[in-house]
Amino acid sequence: MGENKINKMRTLTEPFKIKVVEPLKVTTEEYRVEALAKAGYNPFLLSSKDVFIDLLTDSGTGAMSDRQWSGIMMGDESYAGARSWEHLEAVVKDLTGMPYVLPTHQGRAAERILYSTIGGKGKVFISNTHFDTTRANIEFTNATAIDIVCEEAKDNQSDYPFKGNIDLKKLKELVAKYGSENIAAIIMTVTNNSSGGQPVSMENYKAVRKICSENNLFLVMDGCRIAENSYFVHHKEAGYLTKTYREIAQEMLSMSDAFVMSAKKDGLVNMGGLLVVRDEAISVKCKNLLIISEGFTTYGGLSGRDMEALAIGLVEVFDEDYLHYRIMSTTYLGQGLKKKGIPIVWPVGGHAVYIDAKELYKNIPLKEYPGQALVCDLYIKGGIRCVEVGSVMFGKYDENGELIPAEKELVRLAIPRRVYTQSHIDYVLDVFDDILELREQKRGFEITYEPPFLRHFTAHFKPL
Amino acid sequence: MANKFEKRSWAEPYRMKMVELLKMTTKSQRDKAIKEAGYNTFLLHASDVYIDLLTDSGTNAMSDQQWGAFMTGDEAYAGSKSYYLMEKAIQKYYGYKYVIPTHQGRGAENILSQILIKKGDFIPGNMYFTTTRLHQELAGGTFVDIIIDEAHDANSEYPFKGNVDISKLDDLVKKVGAKKIPYVCIATNVNMAGGQPISMANLKELREYTHKHGIRIIHDMTRVAENAFFIQQREEGYAKRTIESIVLEICSLTDGATMSAKKDALVNIGGFLATNEWDVYEEARNLVVVYEGLHTYGGLAGRDMEAIAVGIKESLCDHHQKARVGQVEYLGKKMEEYGVPLVKPFGGHGIFVDAKAFLPHLTQDQFPAQTLAAEIYADSGVRTMERGIVSAGRKANGENYYPKLELVRFTIPRRVYTQAHMDVIAESAAVVYDRRKKIKGLTMIYEPKYLRFFQAKFEKIK
Repeated sequence: MGENKINKMRTLTEPFKIKVVEPLKVTTEEYRVEALAKAGYNPFLLSSKDVFIDLLTDSGTGAMSDRQWSGIMMGDESYAGARSWEHLEAVVKDLTGMPYVLPTHQGRAAERILYSTIGGKGKVFISNTHFDTTRANIEFTNATAIDIVCEEAKDNQSDYPFKGNIDLKKLKELVAKYGSENIAAIIMTVTNNSSGGQPVSMENYKAVRKICSENNLFLVMDGCRIAENSYFVHHKEAGYLTKTYREIAQEMLSMSDAFVMSAKKDGLVNMGGLLVVRDEAISVKCKNLLIISEGFTTYGGLSGRDMEALAIGLVEVFDEDYLHYRIMSTTYLGQGLKKKGIPIVWPVGGHAVYIDAKELYKNIPLKEYPGQALVCDLYIKGGIRCVEVGSVMFGKYDENGELIPAEKELVRLAIPRRVYTQSHIDYVLDVFDDILELREQKRGFEITYEPPFLRHFTAHFKPL
Repeated sequence: MANKFEKRSWAEPYRMKMVELLKMTTKSQRDKAIKEAGYNTFLLHASDVYIDLLTDSGTNAMSDQQWGAFMTGDEAYAGSKSYYLMEKAIQKYYGYKYVIPTHQGRGAENILSQILIKKGDFIPGNMYFTTTRLHQELAGGTFVDIIIDEAHDANSEYPFKGNVDISKLDDLVKKVGAKKIPYVCIATNVNMAGGQPISMANLKELREYTHKHGIRIIHDMTRVAENAFFIQQREEGYAKRTIESIVLEICSLTDGATMSAKKDALVNIGGFLATNEWDVYEEARNLVVVYEGLHTYGGLAGRDMEAIAVGIKESLCDHHQKARVGQVEYLGKKMEEYGVPLVKPFGGHGIFVDAKAFLPHLTQDQFPAQTLAAEIYADSGVRTMERGIVSAGRKANGENYYPKLELVRFTIPRRVYTQAHMDVIAESAAVVYDRRKKIKGLTMIYEPKYLRFFQAKFEKIK
């Protein structure tokens, strides 16, 4: 492990070879135009067989290692007290240093259980940035979710290394404003997905812990990308080069009161989640809810084999060669786009590259969703599927039904772990040559159907 | 073909392709293990269990065909091809129009209850099931038992103890009005009655009645193929019909379904909600994102949806069901020969021992079924489950429910254990039965708020 690794951009070698492949279908542009129209111009509604490079999400889309697949075969499917559960529990306790481990079928279930236990009407949650499902879970309990990401994050071009940080000044103000008794929790999302996959520094985390301790507040780590965050702390924060990625993660976890994780990211698995807490009383309440909606406390809605794979994945993810490859392959795409003059959120985050669609498609008005336009163009031109993280995902309406746009109009190219080769990424870069030719276009999209919450998943659009 | 083998052994229509090694334990190890588990078999470590009959849920052995499909699972977040395969299998074999995958059965129950039940509603059903009733109650509804009286009588040999007593339903409709009844919940087979089937004739009668009053039938279909097997064997006019066609007919008499695919569908995880109503589907699609996952994966890995699609098809094969239910029957007959008191007729997924008759010297407050399950484990390492007063829980006013049935369930996982395993189980029940008079009851020392049977702890009465 060393500093020079991050700076040298030699050909990126994967610390693994391919053992099983999944054939892909190659489609024509005419075919894709039709497929997209059928999907209501929402890539979430496309059939995955019609997608060539799927950058929709890095969640649950990773390739497991042969060791994990061996774990899949060894999974103990006993309903209660399975050895796969005991394996997972031991690994999670060791990583988090927290005594109460609750398995869930995926991350949103862990969030729902914890936030409905500590939240409710009148309660406030404060976060660097709540992710979309997190916000939905909180608002579903009639509590309020407030985002206060640091000022530096608002500038897409600055080199500031920790744009995932929370704004400490605002945090103090909000604590004073709402009173600690009304604040259900402070949630630190590491890395900060919605603000560009940007890391949170240890310094910032320590300061949050201090505020929490002084005001008796509950600190939750939403740590589905905790290993990727540790990579950035190791390389970019003073004093951490001598610590391993795992030690850095453990230091951050040691300051947290609870840990929720969608294991589909840094757990290197296709399904699974975790809720881990330090306090026994909260764990008892959460276990009651777990049994109702997820499953018994020793499987939580996961098959034994999935718990086995997760136990192995949580160890593999902290491997220094893996993490280096992982972060560097995301950086490779980001730097390639930047070189072409595509406006991206800088510095490049851990799991995805975020394109500034407002900047790229300057002529498309915000109420016509420039991000959605880019997402559709990428599919038509290259069979690439990605997601809008802007006004479609986070926009609201005022009392006149006019769109209140989100702060940013981003498009996320999320990189599944250990799935695509450098040639795939080079192909993606080539497709952006076609996109650059479209940058003067003026017309976007309107929404023709939308559900009451989490509309980006199922909304339909029409090109204007 | 079926007749030719009628009187011969039920030999499995498969052979073993992969095995899982088991640990053998001593009596003193087991005595210690069950004590540490608070005399609750749920709290035992699986590695201390020799034959695990805790549940048939998610404990199945998948076939090589399923494992093959498993490897082709498409893990795309949206629009996975595995989802479309599963959807197609459900539409083809169960006949429902719209499908929402969920991580398991209770995920589907949760969503359905929230959509259909309003505060103050009543949900009649052919006997309660623990998680089902809880979701109904959490949504503001009240469960009403409308199963026939025979179901509560361990000694009745009525062939369709899962049937609905239409007059009980009619009483409820007259009392509260059809508008307060969003649906009738029909389980195939009825788990809490001992894996007992509902007859097609009864279901048809119920369909006619509910049509007249504009009430939906929601099908809790986790063991529908096993129910169909009993219809084929016992009901007039169905002997020549395939299980596949009987299952389709059952489903056609209902409006929607929740399913834990962990039973009949021969997988280790998974479930779904199915409906013929677009409005219900649309609302479910919105809710599933909050609780489970996007509507094209619902909290399931792509590979698990593949395995379900194959498993549904395999479960409808007549030979499979004959071996499946045949094995349960083999165990039952063997235990019966040893004089162990059992619920009759034998159910589809397990043998239910009548703990009240087994341990008549214990009162229900001394948890006879809980006691017996602990004794069986200590004797042989066979893990069974209590289905009596502990499972029944408490009423809203805090009083215990006192269910008429106090049972120990010996649930048989599908395609996992051999005939020799069945012999070991029956012998253990016989040995414990021989010394039944010396067995003392239990007291509860820890009781959780919901679904207490999962986590409650007990002590032996001195």
